[in-house]
Amino acid sequence: MSAPGEAGGVRAWVPWLVLVPVLVVALAVGAGRGDGRPATPAARTAHVAAGVRCPTCEGLSAAESEAPASVAIRQEIRRRVDAGQSDAAIRSYLVGRYGSDILLTPAGSGVAALVWALPVAGLVLAAGVLAYTFRRRRAEPRRTPTVEDRLLVEQAAGQ
Amino acid sequence: MTAALAEATPPRHTARWAAIGVGVVVVALVAVLATRPQAADVVAPSPVVGQPAPEIGGPGLDGTQVSLTGLRGRWVLVNFFATWCIPCVREHHELVSFSNRHEATEAQVLSVIYDDQPDDVKAFFAQRGGTWPVVEDAGAKVDFGVRGVPESFLVDPQGVVRIRLVGGVTAQGLDRLLRQGEAGS
Repeated sequence: MSAPGEAGGVRAWVPWLVLVPVLVVALAVGAGRGDGRPATPAARTAHVAAGVRCPTCEGLSAAESEAPASVAIRQEIRRRVDAGQSDAAIRSYLVGRYGSDILLTPAGSGVAALVWALPVAGLVLAAGVLAYTFRRRRAEPRRTPTVEDRLLVEQAAGQ
Repeated sequence: MTAALAEATPPRHTARWAAIGVGVVVVALVAVLATRPQAADVVAPSPVVGQPAPEIGGPGLDGTQVSLTGLRGRWVLVNFFATWCIPCVREHHELVSFSNRHEATEAQVLSVIYDDQPDDVKAFFAQRGGTWPVVEDAGAKVDFGVRGVPESFLVDPQGVVRIRLVGGVTAQGLDRLLRQGEAGS
């Protein structure tokens, strides 16, 4: 990126300035979609069950499985939805009965929070390393060919 | 020259010996797995262990109301089962034996029907014995965090879940766990 005051410096910043609002809008839209709570009790039940592991099968959520344990979990979620409990309270209840591994989405606290924190830390670290590398490369003095270099090139071109 | 070398060097048959070795290992593994006793009385962790037992309540096979709190003051083995579950069928005579030994004294069994028909359960008990209460409570399996059947929970006289057992149980193993529980309480 150009230093302030140089010709074309502002032009070099334009793509980044455009990128920032695009990123902000995209994140806002994505986050907004995630927060949208299902309207009906059935949809809310399905939404919560989709984040709960089937206790007796591999790789299926309680929403997808027809195993008796999953059916019972769906019925219990529905009962609690009808009783007015929040999604978080229902998930907390299930963790209290089956353990934290019943959730397909890792918790945001304790050791499980590392699942969320590590990718972000990795991203920040990678961005830092990239910025440092670019800055260092830019700081290196530009090498100009010496007379000997030019002679070598001319000789090679003459052959 | 080549023919002379071939005659001088005996064949090594590496592949044959490797195959025989693998075959022996596989046969030994199958023999060990086939002859070892089936896992029973397997104690497993659960968040409900150490917590007050969730309530179980509902109609019994004879139509009377059954509840876990009604059995407070005795050790209760809460057994989740189904008649279609082979390990449940296998463990049933062990439960009968355990129940007969302790029915008049300090412990009893409470069976909870897991995804089964009451008529099938009635026929099952009529055929295989067992006079302890059997209850249908759809919510209990989630309240106890039951993952499959058979699964049992030993509840102490104060109503606290002490042990979770996954898979089948034996009368001898239950006696041992009961003694341990009584010694620890």
